[in-house]
Amino acid sequence: MIYQAAHFEDVPVAEPDEIARLRSRDSAALACVVGRYQLRLYRYLRRLVREPAAADDLFQQTWLNVVRHLDRYDSRRNFDTWLFAIAHNAAMDLLRRKTGESLEESGRELAAAEPDALSAAMASERTAILASEMAGLTAPYREVLTLRFEEGMKLEEIAEVTRAPLSTVKSRVGRALETLREKMTARYRKEDLL
Amino acid sequence: MTTHKTIRQLLALSAAGLLDAADERRVREHVRECAECATALDELAAVSADLCRLPTPMAPADLVARTEARMAAELAAQTSQRHGAILAVGAGLFAWMAALATWGLYRFFAGSAGWLAWIVLTTVPAYMAAGAVAVMFASRRRLERSLL
Repeated sequence: MIYQAAHFEDVPVAEPDEIARLRSRDSAALACVVGRYQLRLYRYLRRLVREPAAADDLFQQTWLNVVRHLDRYDSRRNFDTWLFAIAHNAAMDLLRRKTGESLEESGRELAAAEPDALSAAMASERTAILASEMAGLTAPYREVLTLRFEEGMKLEEIAEVTRAPLSTVKSRVGRALETLREKMTARYRKEDLL
Repeated sequence: MTTHKTIRQLLALSAAGLLDAADERRVREHVRECAECATALDELAAVSADLCRLPTPMAPADLVARTEARMAAELAAQTSQRHGAILAVGAGLFAWMAALATWGLYRFFAGSAGWLAWIVLTTVPAYMAAGAVAVMFASRRRLERSLL
């Protein structure tokens, strides 16, 4: 079963007329677009920085930066990638300031999060285990995985958001996925879930 | 590098749906004959499918409302700044026109030789006033940003 990008045809995106109204600083259009991207943007930030409070701050900072830089937005560009690139920049600034967070692909990976009470109840589910293993990856790996598999972005779009060459994005996706496969296989063997 | 090793490196990208048609075909042909790669591809595909189904973290209920409030404040600050800039340009033009209008009066009292003094007397205060207005707007903008 090969992953199908078509799975993401129903992700909420901004309508062209909303973007036009956004550029004219229509506050109703801004509210509409914030609501439309709420889940996607917050999820991306949570995957990237992991802490809810930091994701909250970055969510607000991202939208403030959108308002401040609306004049620079080229309507021929994809709004999604522009928005996520702004969020990426804000998140990277934060992660650079944080200690113990590696922005290198080969940086030290964190131990997978221990399941909390809720997660423990869901421990039998593959997705709960996978989420905790994913949280243990370095930030560049977490980022490409969420952009590819949760946001359904193409290689070129991920490269635009992360400002990385296509070859780097390909290599990150490949290594991140392979790392997760190894971790999941090892964990299943260890927990005798297979 | 053997075909097996080359294909092995493409398996994750195949599972992620990121290979072009030619490479995807090479992978398919290889896994039909290589059990090891077929197993690895199945596992990678399972991980890929699960990544699409990860539970979405929910944002706090008031996050959108708080964000909209900050955006509205930023928009209001931008509008105020734009109005301030228009006002400053208008005031500058008015000052310039007023200075030109005084030329006849100045010439009547000082004679035609005093044109350099007239330029200094009208231009320098205008530039100083414009500078003061610009500094005032910049500090107000900084204050507004710090409050957001």
